[in-house]
Amino acid sequence: MQVFLQTLVGGLSLGAVYALVALGFALVYRTMGLVNFAHADVLMVGAYVASTFTMTEHLPFAAAAAAAIVVTALIGLVIERMLRPLEGKDFDLMLIGTIGFGIVLEALATLVWGATGRAVPSPVQTAPLHLLGASIPSYDLVVTAVALVAMVALSLFLERTRRGVAMQAVAMDYDAATAVGINVGRSNAIAFAIGAGLAALAGALVGPLLYVSPTMGGSIGIDGFAAAILGGFGSIPGAVVGGVVIGLISSFSAGHFHGYSDLVTFTVFAVLVMIRPTGLFGERTVVRA
Amino acid sequence: MSASPVRRVLTLSTGLAALVALAACSTPGAKTTTGQGSAATGDLKIAVVDAQSGQNSALGGWEYKGAKLAVDQWNARGGINGRKIALTLFDDQGDPTVGTNLASKLAGEGYIAMIGTAESGVTVAMEPTLKAAGIPNITSGQSNALTAGGDPFVFLNGPTSTTYDATLAKYVIDTKGLKKIAMITNNGSYGKGEHDAFLAELKKRGITPLTDQVVTTSQTDFSAALTTIKQKNPDVVFIGSEEVEAGLIVKQARSLGITAPFAGSAPQGTPVYVNTAGAANAENTIVSSPYLSNDTSDASKAFAAAYLAAYKTTAELHGAKAYDGTEILLTALKTSNAATGAKLADAIRATHYQGLLGDFAYDSTGVGIFATKIGVIKNGQLTAIG
Repeated sequence: MQVFLQTLVGGLSLGAVYALVALGFALVYRTMGLVNFAHADVLMVGAYVASTFTMTEHLPFAAAAAAAIVVTALIGLVIERMLRPLEGKDFDLMLIGTIGFGIVLEALATLVWGATGRAVPSPVQTAPLHLLGASIPSYDLVVTAVALVAMVALSLFLERTRRGVAMQAVAMDYDAATAVGINVGRSNAIAFAIGAGLAALAGALVGPLLYVSPTMGGSIGIDGFAAAILGGFGSIPGAVVGGVVIGLISSFSAGHFHGYSDLVTFTVFAVLVMIRPTGLFGERTVVRA
Repeated sequence: MSASPVRRVLTLSTGLAALVALAACSTPGAKTTTGQGSAATGDLKIAVVDAQSGQNSALGGWEYKGAKLAVDQWNARGGINGRKIALTLFDDQGDPTVGTNLASKLAGEGYIAMIGTAESGVTVAMEPTLKAAGIPNITSGQSNALTAGGDPFVFLNGPTSTTYDATLAKYVIDTKGLKKIAMITNNGSYGKGEHDAFLAELKKRGITPLTDQVVTTSQTDFSAALTTIKQKNPDVVFIGSEEVEAGLIVKQARSLGITAPFAGSAPQGTPVYVNTAGAANAENTIVSSPYLSNDTSDASKAFAAAYLAAYKTTAELHGAKAYDGTEILLTALKTSNAATGAKLADAIRATHYQGLLGDFAYDSTGVGIFATKIGVIKNGQLTAIG
């Protein structure tokens, strides 16, 4: 029972991080129909910026995370601006463009911060809480709470604001949205900026849990991407549920299958996607260009 | 989106990554001009192959610093029989596939010997190519898999996992009397080697581990494994994993309330491990290592001073290992009058060398040193016991 509960706790906090990553993937896909393969590397830059501010400038964690979000949102805007000429023309080139940006960001991070990486001290030093024999690190609660708030804020933005509704309109019908006077370029730019900001938030949160290095995006990116697919690509609640499910599957398979846990996790993932090709919450697919 | 564009992009991204890897490989060696393919005249071409990027790049960085220091010192003394030593660095990214490509490259470009790699898995992948080309290789790996193939061209610059873990088991079980032992290791080449070597030591003493947890090399959440360990209430937890992952494991273990000390070998004595775990969490980690500190002998003090002067950072085990390995290679080159191939390998095997790690005398399997010492992490520093 104790092992079960503890595995649950570990899986949930890991899942919260995956959910944040998946949200960024989903938002850009929902608006532009584009998978941003640079997303995981933006997360890495966010982790570096946040940890630099906390460790060398001694800013409070929240301020450092906010700074990281601003910096990476700007990177998101740059990526979108450079891809814009291809919008509606060559979809494959846009995808390859995002892969290219990912490689560039990794190389830049190696130049700026070195290849070695750094360990980031946890911003919350209080003792873990105990519940039914399971111990819950207080920082994990912070991560989960922030992920929840981000998800709710993003949903409200998309459903309740003019800008958000306009972005959804672009996603549903590009030509009609253009015809009614929605600025598609700006809508895409905002999607990229928010997506990058979410990645930075995930990076800032995950830094103290893991080890920050230029290649840290690799496995987090793959798990986050899998979460987005599982939830139904482009679905906001789907991204969150997908993240939590992937987190739980990896935690429990690690407990039961030890060295074979990755194999089991992604086999389960493949089977789930075969049963529901549109994901758990995917009711439609966006096909553009 | 249908499945095919995603698959296409994934294939493309793999392809791109491979291209980038190839490009990264081809640049560093470009500037070497003399002695192409021939060892009779010109510079003596020696390659350092080590991860300069990726999670194990710290290891590769230390190793290169140690090797370069030895070469610079020899060159400052006039090289070998009047010939300069040209050291070229290659980045294997800690990836066996990249390593194999590099092995072919070294063979094609006439390198006479190789220093590295720091990861057993990469070196094992490179061995067949290096053996066919007759390039002696002094590796920092410690897995028993390195010597299992009977390759006459591979040499270790330190002890094998068996030696590390025999010393560790002797201290933990025989000296301290800790018999309730839990194990956590990863399923990579290094972790598997540690797992098998330590388990063999336990078996010798008729001890069964309370639990034997195996994790993957990319795992980040260890809740299930650590909770199982906690329930068994061990006296000590054996850990067989590289610096960063081991640090994460120990950090999570402490937050779950595991208070037993951890015991491991070389990676657990490094600053990367201590920083990742947090100094307080790493306190009392028992470490089996052939090089506990820079103050153990006059030789290590001189090495540490030269290292500090050259790189403005403190020397540690992996730099010392690479320094020893490079010194042995250069000594063998000198005594064999710059021989290559099998003759150079024989010369390395015949070299007896008093190094920073101890006295090297190679056996037929390519292992030259058979002892480690025990240290404990105190206030974030590895210190000798006693």
